[in-house]
Amino acid sequence: MSKTIRLGSRPPYPITVVKLFKKPGDVIKSQEPLMQYSFKWTKEVGDNIRKETWNEEQTTYVSWNSPADGDLKQWLIKEGEVIPRDGPCMVIKEACSHEIQFQGLCAICGKDMTEVNWAAETRDTDRAPISMVHDQTNLTVSTVQAQRTENELQRRLLESRKLSLVVDLDQTIIHACIDPTVGEWQKDPDNPNHDSVKDVKSFQLDDGGPRGAARGCWYYIKMRPGLERFLRRISELYELHVYTMGTRAYAQSVAHIVDPDQKLFGNRVISRDENGNMFSKSLQRLFPVSTNMVVIIDDRADVWPRNRPNLIKVSPYDFFKGIGDINSSFLPRRRDLLPSAAADGAAVNGNGVPPKVNKAAVTEKPSALDELASIAGADDPAITQRQVEEQERTLEKQIKDRPLQLLQEQLDKEEEEAEKATTKSEDGSDTPPSSPPHHRHQVLRDGDTELQYLEQHLTRLHKAYYDEYDRKRASHRASSNVDLSSVPDVGRMLEGLKSKALRGTKVVLTGIVPMGVEIAHVDVGQQLVGFGAGIVTKIGHDVSHLVVNSLRPRTKKVQQAARIPSIRIVNQDWLAACFSQWRIVEEGPYLFDVHPDDRPAEGDATISDADETDDAVKDSDKPPSTPVRGGQILRIKAPAPRLKLVSASGETKELDDEDSDDEDDDDGDMEDVEDEDVLPDDINDGQLSPIDGLKTFNWGQVDDELQEFLASGSDDDDDDDDGDEDADTMDTDADETSPSSRKRKFEGGESEDAGDGTDAETAQDENTALSNGIGTRDGASVAKKLRRTKSLRGTSSLRNQYVSDVDGDADGDSSLLTPQVTGDEEEVSLIKGGLTPSLVEAEASATEADLDATDLEAEFEAELMAEFEAAAGGEANGNDGEKG
Amino acid sequence: MFFLHNLERRVTLHPSYFGRNMHDLVTTKLVKDVEGTCAGDYYIIAIMDTFDVSEGRILPGSGLAEFTVGYRAVVWRPFKGEVVDAIAYSVNPHGFFAQAGPLRLFVSSHLMPDEIQYDANATPPQFTNNADMVIEPGTHVRVKIIGLRTEVGEMWAIGSINGDFLGCLQA
Repeated sequence: MSKTIRLGSRPPYPITVVKLFKKPGDVIKSQEPLMQYSFKWTKEVGDNIRKETWNEEQTTYVSWNSPADGDLKQWLIKEGEVIPRDGPCMVIKEACSHEIQFQGLCAICGKDMTEVNWAAETRDTDRAPISMVHDQTNLTVSTVQAQRTENELQRRLLESRKLSLVVDLDQTIIHACIDPTVGEWQKDPDNPNHDSVKDVKSFQLDDGGPRGAARGCWYYIKMRPGLERFLRRISELYELHVYTMGTRAYAQSVAHIVDPDQKLFGNRVISRDENGNMFSKSLQRLFPVSTNMVVIIDDRADVWPRNRPNLIKVSPYDFFKGIGDINSSFLPRRRDLLPSAAADGAAVNGNGVPPKVNKAAVTEKPSALDELASIAGADDPAITQRQVEEQERTLEKQIKDRPLQLLQEQLDKEEEEAEKATTKSEDGSDTPPSSPPHHRHQVLRDGDTELQYLEQHLTRLHKAYYDEYDRKRASHRASSNVDLSSVPDVGRMLEGLKSKALRGTKVVLTGIVPMGVEIAHVDVGQQLVGFGAGIVTKIGHDVSHLVVNSLRPRTKKVQQAARIPSIRIVNQDWLAACFSQWRIVEEGPYLFDVHPDDRPAEGDATISDADETDDAVKDSDKPPSTPVRGGQILRIKAPAPRLKLVSASGETKELDDEDSDDEDDDDGDMEDVEDEDVLPDDINDGQLSPIDGLKTFNWGQVDDELQEFLASGSDDDDDDDDGDEDADTMDTDADETSPSSRKRKFEGGESEDAGDGTDAETAQDENTALSNGIGTRDGASVAKKLRRTKSLRGTSSLRNQYVSDVDGDADGDSSLLTPQVTGDEEEVSLIKGGLTPSLVEAEASATEADLDATDLEAEFEAELMAEFEAAAGGEANGNDGEKG
Repeated sequence: MFFLHNLERRVTLHPSYFGRNMHDLVTTKLVKDVEGTCAGDYYIIAIMDTFDVSEGRILPGSGLAEFTVGYRAVVWRPFKGEVVDAIAYSVNPHGFFAQAGPLRLFVSSHLMPDEIQYDANATPPQFTNNADMVIEPGTHVRVKIIGLRTEVGEMWAIGSINGDFLGCLQA
């Protein structure tokens, strides 16, 4: 192989070639003089003391030495030539290009690469910088060799129509723990967990394993359900590699359990000992040139910072509850955990203590390590040492604490109590031998189905990949059956496949991403985006799903969303299911049971309080014009908060909030940032928040009004001891006395005509107004309502604030939200549902109208007139209903 | 190549061992310390005999006794060009690793006969000429050393099976 040699940066240019010692064809050895050159320089000569100095030009002759061995093929310079700068000077045929090196030795010629060659400017060891072998780090290859090897690999894969699949071990295809309890359960057929653990494999590590108490301990390996079948089928489509953060010995042992005859993984196992980086995994470690044909399955996305596109994230397999990943101290702290609702339930039951202790041990300390790692390089031996110690501590803790046993004992205890409550005959059920096993529940359950879906995805991906490859190859008209140039990038295909999964959904998360964390930086967010879902931060009508953390079930967003029937409120398991199945999973089983106080229809609680969301969904599915009978009742739920307010402060003041709203509008609203955080900019729906922009509110005036009102002797049945400011203000708002608001009403109504129309609100307001106004008053109320709707076309920010604030305090002062709802409104709504179809229709058309914005205002007025008439018709009944 | 080599080493002994069988203790300690180590460019395989244990000297400060022991040992020094028998332990596309006693060797695919090719589809992956030569982990191979490098306590070599009578050993 010929190589062009440059002069290098050392000669003091410009130089003049004086003599060439060698001629083409000669054998040259490194550090041997090949040519002589001269250069000129000036030197101060003379008597320095007497200041009789002058500069004299000197010429120096230097020989230029060969930086490499080989045969000289051609000189690119001539004798006498002046060379102004560094450039190529000769072509040689190198004896050896040292492309494969083993521990400082060239594996081709056997030369010691660490020998310092003073004539060369680069070290020979730099020629082979890439380590790409699974089980060794001291074998390095050059870029050219790496390319060659990889082409070879791709050719082979294309011939057998396979792809590469890099498989993580811990919590992806297996779950490991060292809790000795597992061994005891295995031996004890009476134990309720016996069935679960009887196929758990175990092995002992004595070399290089952890020291101390964990030394020589048994590792218990539970394979993910269906693993054998999965691997067998997938290995027909993929060449499998193991990539784990466990030690080499651990990886080998697990690989041996999973794949006893080495048919699946062969020797393609890489562990943290060979990884070269303690904190992250990199495909480039194995496939330095091209990752076009490599797919990863791992339960952690954050350890693959460079290879996200190729990654299929698997939901972590958590069989031994509370154990986590026993090798996790070698990974960055886990941030992507999406706690499952079931697990949360267990934690709430009181079983949560051991896992928490364990988790804390695993997660808290590495955070310091993270920082260290970011400061120092990842290969720092001190960090490695600390990590190892960390792992040892964790493991020892596991052996000592026996978290599984604790869990089981707790479960037993609970059950015993439960049993005592029901039957007195059974006693002592927490002592394993004496108790009959049938009624003891097991801690360990094995209902994981992830691998089924994973297999589907991988098969689909494989098919898509080779379809694409065949298509490309056909267009290239390649002669051979292997065409490396038309290899598609599997990462891109994977992204394409994934992005279709949740396309069309708009998801809002609540209680899942910690405060102050950008959702796009969190794993959940990245996954959502990867699956093509839209992430919205605020509840709006275009939102399709609200994902609620079932540990924090009562957030603002839940309350907001509960008012919009088209939003499906689901728990985080739905998200997990979608991620694992790559489709929009049927929401049914995941629908979130909204806390009764957060529901918009507290007043209707007697009618349907079992599954609010279900109803909401049902309702949204129906076209709004149809549900005159049953659905109508449900529809009225949406504006119910308004009802509350109204009933709280007396019938006559139902318009108060709008009035204060007007006032706000005059003041200029939407000033506070918090507001915009929580709510969509364009509230074009029934976000009934009457206390938006309270910060700009004239409190003195309100107080006066309140005094006035209280003095007027109205029955105020609001709760008031919630101790929350916002809630109080809302209260105040609600209690705002009518006189002044009435005063303001007119100005408000007139001034807001020009407001940019948000007709949804108008529609909702109509609902409200209809449901209460009609019953209580006559046509005058409808007229007021007309004004109100007009006023509402301006941004009724006050209402928005109401919602958001209420949500924030939901836990503390929910009572506030449920002022004693009388049966009146309910009945009213019923009556209305039964008797005033025209009204409903008006409503329906109003709802439709919100799709088109301001230009439909005129239509609105017409509709309102229709309502007016309808109301006049239903008035008598309404009055009756109320009195009754 | 194996040699009988006369060597010398200083052995220290803790005062608690001072007594009649001190010389035995010194010998035992020597064997424990030295056997199986790599001393520069050779391995000390076995100590034949200890023929000269000097009288002990108390080291000032620590109280340990220091003995200078002359001994004769079997040492193995691999040479460039030497042919050794080794056992392959890891195979990858670039070549295979083998172990000749304590010495780790790497034989690159460039230093194999042309007909021996890497076969990744075999389980486990192997180098084979599709006839009698199959090199996979555990195979005994005869290798010619073409390069050597030593560091303190460690030695590595590059081997070749490109030559007559090199390669797989038909056991």
